[in-house]
Amino acid sequence: MPQAEATVTDVLTVEGVAVRFGGVAALSDANLRVRAGSVTGLIGPNGAGKTTLFNVISGLQAPDRGTVHLYDTDITRMRPHRRARLGLARTFQRLELFGTLSAGENVQVGLESSVKWWQWRHVKRRFPWAKGGADGSDGATGQPSGPGSVAVATADRLLEGVGLGGLSAEQASAMPTGLARMVELARALAMAPKVLLLDEPGSGLDDAESEALGELLTTLASGGMGVLLVEHDMELVMRICDYIYVLDFGDVIAAGTPEQIRKDPMVQAAYLGTVTDVGADAAAESSDPQAPSDGPGAGGAHAGEGRAEHDGDEHDEVAEA
Amino acid sequence: MSNFLQFTVFGIMLGAGYAIAATGLVVTYTTSGVFNFAQGAVGMIAAFGYWELVSAHHVPVLAALVIILILGASIAGAFVERVLMRRLHGASAERPVMVTLGLMVILTGMATIIWSPTTQRTVEPMISGQFRLVGINIQYQYVLIIAVAAAVAVALRALFYSTRTGYALRAVVDDPELLGMSGVSPNRMSQYGWILGFMMAALSGVLLAPTQTTGISIEAMTLLVVSGYAAAIVGRLKNIPLTFAAAIAIGLAENYVLNYIEPHLSSALQTDVTSALPMVFLFAALVTLPSVRLRAVGRLTSMRAPRVAGGRESLVAGAVFLALAVFMAFAFADTNVKGTTLLTLGGMVMTLGIVGLSLVLLTGYSGQVSLCQFSFMGIGAFVMGKWAAGGSPLGLLAATAVCAGVGALIALPTIRLSDLYLALATFAFADAVATGFFADGRVYGSGGVNISRISVPGLSLSSDRAEFLMVTVFFVLAAWLVLAIRRSLFGRRLVAVNDSPAAYATVGLNIGFTKVAVFAIAAAMAGLAGALYGTVQTIVGTTDFDIFPGIIFVLFVTIWSIRTVSGAFLAALTYVALNQIWPSSIGIFAGMGVILIGRAANGILGIEALHVRLPWVPKPAGDLVAAPVGAFGGSTGSEGLSAAG
Repeated sequence: MPQAEATVTDVLTVEGVAVRFGGVAALSDANLRVRAGSVTGLIGPNGAGKTTLFNVISGLQAPDRGTVHLYDTDITRMRPHRRARLGLARTFQRLELFGTLSAGENVQVGLESSVKWWQWRHVKRRFPWAKGGADGSDGATGQPSGPGSVAVATADRLLEGVGLGGLSAEQASAMPTGLARMVELARALAMAPKVLLLDEPGSGLDDAESEALGELLTTLASGGMGVLLVEHDMELVMRICDYIYVLDFGDVIAAGTPEQIRKDPMVQAAYLGTVTDVGADAAAESSDPQAPSDGPGAGGAHAGEGRAEHDGDEHDEVAEA
Repeated sequence: MSNFLQFTVFGIMLGAGYAIAATGLVVTYTTSGVFNFAQGAVGMIAAFGYWELVSAHHVPVLAALVIILILGASIAGAFVERVLMRRLHGASAERPVMVTLGLMVILTGMATIIWSPTTQRTVEPMISGQFRLVGINIQYQYVLIIAVAAAVAVALRALFYSTRTGYALRAVVDDPELLGMSGVSPNRMSQYGWILGFMMAALSGVLLAPTQTTGISIEAMTLLVVSGYAAAIVGRLKNIPLTFAAAIAIGLAENYVLNYIEPHLSSALQTDVTSALPMVFLFAALVTLPSVRLRAVGRLTSMRAPRVAGGRESLVAGAVFLALAVFMAFAFADTNVKGTTLLTLGGMVMTLGIVGLSLVLLTGYSGQVSLCQFSFMGIGAFVMGKWAAGGSPLGLLAATAVCAGVGALIALPTIRLSDLYLALATFAFADAVATGFFADGRVYGSGGVNISRISVPGLSLSSDRAEFLMVTVFFVLAAWLVLAIRRSLFGRRLVAVNDSPAAYATVGLNIGFTKVAVFAIAAAMAGLAGALYGTVQTIVGTTDFDIFPGIIFVLFVTIWSIRTVSGAFLAALTYVALNQIWPSSIGIFAGMGVILIGRAANGILGIEALHVRLPWVPKPAGDLVAAPVGAFGGSTGSEGLSAAG
């Protein structure tokens, strides 16, 4: 079983996590570490247990065995909202937006959950990656005109930071998938998390958007954030990840740098198939950005589709049933 | 010893009757995901129908059973699924609850019209006589009920776990689309579930009717099934054997308490204990349930929320409303409608409007259903009458505070669970408070409780006009408060927790705290409304805060719009007007209304065709096509673009 070496900069540590749904083992003995200031990839075929692992880390699924640590704090039995307050944020494979609220209000909910009343004055400093836009300050005095207006202005800036400038007033449920995923990302980032779990954020994005997403994640990581990325877009994963874990049937079958993973024969057999140079091939192949990432119509850069029948959540539900 | 055996046999029989009704609930829930609040009312109609056929028209028992169970119940079940429930697929979560409640009040309303409640109707046992066993007399009717219940449980278990139809029935709720792809019609499976559920309900009604020694009554037969709710909850709304066992245990416990504990209590307490038992069982069952796992549902709420008025706009609207109220107070001061002054009726509208506003906050924003807002009103009026003699304004504060505390206590056991369980808990609480607490002679007494008008030094509020204006001010303040909450951080959280609990928790917010807080605030508002209602009426009695009027009022708010302040006011206006003009048919109006509204989440006020754009109201945001987009804006996704705002 591949094990990453523990270092002092590990922000998230998962050790020996196992989850069973009836007779089906969704996770057998999952181990991984996420370092501060890095993007860590988690790849594998559909049904491998990636979403279940995300649910265990974020507290939506209690593991049968194993531990989850955020820095040195054991969060294995902690409730989801307490984990979030410690600095753990996530997005979902299937959108989980507050559909009745606007895009801006979605981000505000995340922002207001993490910013204390005395922090509003300097809230802009929490998001150095989000440049420009209004800061909610009074035009004449330069002072913030109140937490409410600062929250609105900051939410606008965060949306602008993920490329959704001017869409703050749109109702979230009316937005196209690609935009809605970015709203979800902005909401997670509004919490100024230490660890960010992203479940297929590239799904529904075209090439240019996928590239912009990669740049954003790299920028976030360079600011000290630990990013754990589940993604089927191999071009994106290989380009931005510092370290990659490969999950198959609930086990981590390989771990290493993108180069090591690309050449790993086990990974090729289980997930990447016969594609030997994923990054290069993917760039050359056309891919349909609108195709669902789990669907058979996904482009060449999307690995592991042939054997998949269910996505992670469906796998969980079927197994539970 | 023989007494114990006698009580045990009767307890098992009672439990067997509950078991049939409870398994019917489980079958319907398992196959449609809908908890049928009308289950008791269906049983009641079957019991009265059986009486009508057998006792009034001398139809043979077997023929009557065929007519009621095979023809009546199955056709009614199929009709309800096809016409009422199928179109609710994908509607907001509270909608099926409202529709089944609507069905319940329609059935009870129709029964009241057909079978006058003043006539006593006793149903003869299907098999007369008794036999003696180990020193006790056992009626054949009891044996019949127990045998039928056992046969039903075995047959249902076999159906669900040993037949293809049974597998399909269980699968239909999990994933109807997937079931459809395997060649089985999910609609047909749901219809079978509703037919079975109605047949179980009718069977329990027909079997238990002869055990009502003082005769069958519409309300008692409808609410008889509340103990069955507890059994169904113990069975987690899916486990038939566990439901059956729990129903038997509840029947036994109920009978032991009634025969061993109750005789030692004072006569006043005896009524309280009898009434409180179903609620005690229900709450005990709720406490035993494991916490619901938070799940990512992966489905966005697509409902377009009504526009929320801004701060200045709501102030202007409130001022206009108050000016109209002042005009009405002077122009119609002496007008009477059926013996009641128009200002008194107006005062009732305002106080009920505050209850409606509490529902906007609780159900409209946070998605939790409460069926006991009238109970909080009654408690508020009681506190005002008992503790604020002489019309002290402090009585209003006390009523508000007491109801906030009681509300939090009711919400606490259910916050770990899904919102359905809160609806059930509030239903049981409303029933227990109405028949136990309010009916207790020491609470409202036989003639009701006198409540003085508010007395403030230097200000006379004793006239109808002053009272009307005072409660109008309270309504306007409550409306302004509700809108202010919706615009606030807390308001966003209420909507967010309803839209996606999983996302709510993972952004660091405590679901339990939010739900208990909003329930307590809504209870406090209803308590305040009750205290004010008492000052308007100056006397309140046991029937003012009954469970059925409470449910009917919730339905009226749903019909107009449970998400808007205007909806709350119009619901109160409609309720008071209809109650004054056609009191016996108000339930039928409410039930029909909520059924006609169907899946329209924002009620009548949400129907676009009725909208008139006022010049000062801002236009909704434009189409996304025209909106500026950033680096991620090029993707349109499979949903395509749609207008938003």
